[in-house]
Amino acid sequence: MKNRLKVLRAEHDWSQADLADKLNVSRQTVNAIETEKYDPSLPLAFKIADLFEKRIEEIFSPEK
Amino acid sequence: MNAILQKLSGGTATLISAIAWVLIYLLARWLLDNGQLSEGMRIIVALMPIVPFAIFLGLMLAGIRQMDELHRKVHLEALAIAFPLAMLLLMLLGLLELVIPLSPEDWSYRHVWQFLPLLYFLGLAFTWRRYQ
Repeated sequence: MKNRLKVLRAEHDWSQADLADKLNVSRQTVNAIETEKYDPSLPLAFKIADLFEKRIEEIFSPEK
Repeated sequence: MNAILQKLSGGTATLISAIAWVLIYLLARWLLDNGQLSEGMRIIVALMPIVPFAIFLGLMLAGIRQMDELHRKVHLEALAIAFPLAMLLLMLLGLLELVIPLSPEDWSYRHVWQFLPLLYFLGLAFTWRRYQ
């Protein structure tokens, strides 16, 4: 799954550690999502969408 | 029990329980080798290390429950690698035992179980590489 997490994080000027704190996950998890090595669970995807005030499909998109 | 384990969980408590297990294991081995104990007492002493080790495992599990979803997934995948490897190892030893007498001084349960955490850590290392 593709995502825009890195771009959105940069727009907010947050480090991976900042974002990890806000999402209550580890920095490694944020990194794995950003590098598209790990697809987050639906609850975490909703949490990310809430944090950036966007819809899930604006952040995550299926790989084509 | 869960609440107690959750309060106690964390690196320090896990480390203390691991150290307690090693010390009690060494004490038990010393008592079995040097103590003048009845058969019943020898069984009790031999099983003494089970208690701190069970606490250690409980703390490890409580620790895993507190991890985030990726870390839990990594531990689960590590287990999925370690379990079949452990089966393979036991099958290998079982088959070898048909033709080669394996000395209990080298291949008893207490020797073979040490491979299990090793396989688990191998699984952890292999799985982590996929997500880094």
